[in-house]
Amino acid sequence: MKKFISLILIGCLTILSAKELDLGSILPLGDIKMADISGKDVSLNDAKGKNGLLVIFSCNTCPWVIAWEDRYVELADTYKDKGVGIVAINSNETQFENVDSMEEMQAHAKEQGYNFYYTMDNGSKLASEFGATRTPHIYLFDKKDKLVYRGAIDDNARKPDKVENTYLADAIDNMLAGSAIDPTATKALGCAIKFAK
Amino acid sequence: MNRYLSIIFILIIGCEQPDLHHATAESIYNNVISKKGEEAVLLNFWAMWCAPCVAEFPIIVDLADEYENDLAVYFVSVDWLDEEDKVVSFLKDQGVTWTTFIKDEKDNAFINGIHEEWSGALPFTILYGKSSGEVLDYWEGEQPEKRFRKAIINAINS
Repeated sequence: MKKFISLILIGCLTILSAKELDLGSILPLGDIKMADISGKDVSLNDAKGKNGLLVIFSCNTCPWVIAWEDRYVELADTYKDKGVGIVAINSNETQFENVDSMEEMQAHAKEQGYNFYYTMDNGSKLASEFGATRTPHIYLFDKKDKLVYRGAIDDNARKPDKVENTYLADAIDNMLAGSAIDPTATKALGCAIKFAK
Repeated sequence: MNRYLSIIFILIIGCEQPDLHHATAESIYNNVISKKGEEAVLLNFWAMWCAPCVAEFPIIVDLADEYENDLAVYFVSVDWLDEEDKVVSFLKDQGVTWTTFIKDEKDNAFINGIHEEWSGALPFTILYGKSSGEVLDYWEGEQPEKRFRKAIINAINS
């Protein structure tokens, strides 16, 4: 009986956290078209650069996004010319009618000087497939579409001048140089993605 | 006389301040483990601007009151440290005058130190058994009162 209860408990615990895409996984749902702030429909395959793809699950209002998004723009400035495509994805399905509407996304992107795709993930399909749980939540794929890093941008959202570990930039640099990435996974606090119930 | 006692009581309650401490994952765990054999423990990680966190906050306060003899509830704020004063005001407004914490550690170490399955999304709740002191349940995201109650009863009986 105890064994049975334990199995139920383990089962319950398992479904409480989304399973994140394993490192080494191949880019999923690459062909799904999403509405972009440009007015066009864009897929992950469209967003890919010749040397890789950076996927950022994001949104318009999360304080952690607000704190970190200056670095989205810096990363795009630095790495787009090096062949790394960048796409921010808004998966906050329950807020698509208000604060995360396409109009609000366009306004937010303009205000913040976004220089990359910013798409709407209808049905939160990509967030579900990636196991993304929060904003910002980062996934970096190499030129063979293999996941090589996931997690945080760096270790200080609030104070960019106090950053000690530039996890993502280091990962991209090492990916481009063909060197080992370490760490390959990090965590940061963030706003829970608002999946439709 | 009763009237004066009532006024004094109101003044005492009104002046009572939240007992907020800077914390790392390790210092929080030390508090958890100190309760083993005495009380079950519920940790709730929250932030002031996190709407789901704020929505479920009063539910947890009420349950902390209801199960005060068997359950220790520790709220852990992950707000920016430079907004600590606002956190104190929020806690006071919610009637939380017992020991609470505010994160003072880098995210990656803090999150992994609390539980390896926590992704960093908020709110996050984790429960430890009264007798065992072991993790019995945890979840990310807002939950209704009945979900909290069920987990609390299980933790008290484990």
